Amino acid sequence: MEEFTKFVRGGILGPIKKWGTKWSLWPVHLVTACCGAELAHAFACGYDGERIGALNYGIARQTNLIIVEGAITRKMARVLRITWEQMPDPKFVIVMGACGLNGGIFWNGYNLVKPSEVVPVEFFIPGCPPTPEALLRGIRQLQIKLDKGVAENSLTFSEIALEKGKKPKVLPVSPKVVSNAPSIVVAVKKAVDWEFGKQLCDRLKAIGRAVITAKNRIALKVEVENLRSAAMKLKDLGFDHVKSVNVIDVPNEGKFIVEFLISSYSVKELMPVLVNLYTEISRKEPKISSLSDIFPSADYLEREMQDFFGVNFVGNPWKGKFILAPDTPEFPLRKDFKLEAESYVGD
Amino acid sequence: MIDEILATLMNVFRSNSMQIPLIQPIVDYLMQIPLINILVALILWRPFFAVVIMPGLAVLLLYLLYIVWFERKLTARIQWRVGPLEVARPIRGAIQALADGLRYFFQEAIVHRDAHRPYFVQLPILAFIPILLPIAFIPAGNAVGIKTPYAIQLIVAFLALIPITIIAIGWASNNRFAFVGSVREALMYVAYEIPFIIAVISMIYLYGSGDPYVAVEKQSLVPGAILNPIAFLVFLITMLMATSRLPFEIPEADQEIAFGPFVEYSGMLFGLVMVLAYEKLYIMTLLFVILFLGGWNGFYFEPLGDLNAPLCLFIKTVVVISIIAIVRSMYARYRIDQTLRYSFSWLIAFSMVALGIGVVLGWIL
Repeated sequence: MEEFTKFVRGGILGPIKKWGTKWSLWPVHLVTACCGAELAHAFACGYDGERIGALNYGIARQTNLIIVEGAITRKMARVLRITWEQMPDPKFVIVMGACGLNGGIFWNGYNLVKPSEVVPVEFFIPGCPPTPEALLRGIRQLQIKLDKGVAENSLTFSEIALEKGKKPKVLPVSPKVVSNAPSIVVAVKKAVDWEFGKQLCDRLKAIGRAVITAKNRIALKVEVENLRSAAMKLKDLGFDHVKSVNVIDVPNEGKFIVEFLISSYSVKELMPVLVNLYTEISRKEPKISSLSDIFPSADYLEREMQDFFGVNFVGNPWKGKFILAPDTPEFPLRKDFKLEAESYVGD
Repeated sequence: MIDEILATLMNVFRSNSMQIPLIQPIVDYLMQIPLINILVALILWRPFFAVVIMPGLAVLLLYLLYIVWFERKLTARIQWRVGPLEVARPIRGAIQALADGLRYFFQEAIVHRDAHRPYFVQLPILAFIPILLPIAFIPAGNAVGIKTPYAIQLIVAFLALIPITIIAIGWASNNRFAFVGSVREALMYVAYEIPFIIAVISMIYLYGSGDPYVAVEKQSLVPGAILNPIAFLVFLITMLMATSRLPFEIPEADQEIAFGPFVEYSGMLFGLVMVLAYEKLYIMTLLFVILFLGGWNGFYFEPLGDLNAPLCLFIKTVVVISIIAIVRSMYARYRIDQTLRYSFSWLIAFSMVALGIGVVLGWIL
């Protein structure tokens, strides 16, 4: 932040403050991704960042520089801000890597935040990941900035005149493509040599339409209103837990497919068996009864699906965000979800 | 009236002043200037010289600058790095600690909302009292602050006060890491203090007195380290424990509990608490040199006169501390239970053996 630079350079004691701060930039490193390995290299025997007075320190209270390494998610943004506010003034931030710059490989992700929106950043170090030389160059640039009072690019590029008639380069479009007619088939029948499965299928026929999809895998389709009774019957058969709850978004047909993958820990012959109990619900009014009272392990999985798709599991007491940060835009895994597009203002 | 007071003071200072032939011409010249002469006489007054100049505060500051740099440089060399360098290339970055200190000095000192404000701010300064008081009793040849035959006992007693201030610092911080650190400090305090005191008592028995002059005089032929090697070892290990250096850096383990009692300190206050352990190390090493390494016995150069003894003591101390600094980069950290078990079994047993040796040798000598 400019006022910190001004403070460090100003006053009668300015030269002393400047000298002390310049040669004692102790970074607290906020590692969220692979750039941490490069930072470790920059401070190990190969490059030795301690030469220029930078000593890695784990505790925010006693340092004056944050090096943000990697992508900052919505939840991590809070941590970054807390770390920044814990540090005593004057303090500086250097952001390392493409993810912190503009998203990098996570560009256009719903859960990504730019560090520059959370804390005032002094320098960005581009690269994926940047080399240790680049990181040390970033710290050197901060020292030079404290020395001169102005920030300068450490590299200057020669200008190239635009050729006439050639289109300027545009940003890449989002890789998220919505197909008009995706073929989503949950139950594909497959002939397998599995005697027990055939017996099980006969028993399950009373509940819904049972199909063997592979060895030890059975898909069982039920109507929405029969879901609870089907789950009760499965419980009576010896199935005792839900391994996973999935939602598949099919926007062109206006429906969600909700899958409960049910298996057993208590009955020996049912242990390898995985029953995919699935049903279809309307996309406009996504309501389905919860199975968390029958299979307690479904509870957290249902909450997660509530976060991602906005499917309302009636009977699950949880309301609001569970895994995602509170300020995440609604239902990010729906196929028609669109991020607020970035707009570039100026020539 | 003022003239009389000044004349009396001059008499007091001149009657007990350091005789250093090397700088005698300069002193003689400065003595002719009014008002400056009383300052010079004060500085050369033996009690003042011992407490404030050498082996007291002035060289303590020099030592702090040196040891922080030396430790970082040594650790760097052991890890195949260069260490602090670019801050002052011609002197191999020797003023790195000064840069860090200045940065701390001009940083914001945060006093957080949950802290007990008066204690949180006062205690780092209060902690200096038990650090500085022993300096008044540590003699170096003719330069001595307060001369007493119970000097060694007094130094040990004041050293025992330091952990109490550290525990109080942790309490005033009101932080979970600080709390864990304080409890560890308290456990360590009990663990090292008993063998440490027994080792010192064994040496007092051996020399037959708690007077450093007697101790140093009796070591004129054979140093105490050879007279009672087990007490020497026990003192060395308890010194590492008392100053929380690796392998016993348990109260301040920064990878586990984020600097323990000092986690909430920032700015100048952290600068004050960070040097506590180094200062304690300095005092304990002075005592160590007096008890085991012959104190100020050593070289004697005619031009230095009275300065010989303090200089010799200081050089010995710094050499011992520099050797101890190697330990930091060579050993991993013990767990608290390992340290306590070791301390309450082996260390106390060794100190008892040392006490036996001390009593027997004291009786023979």
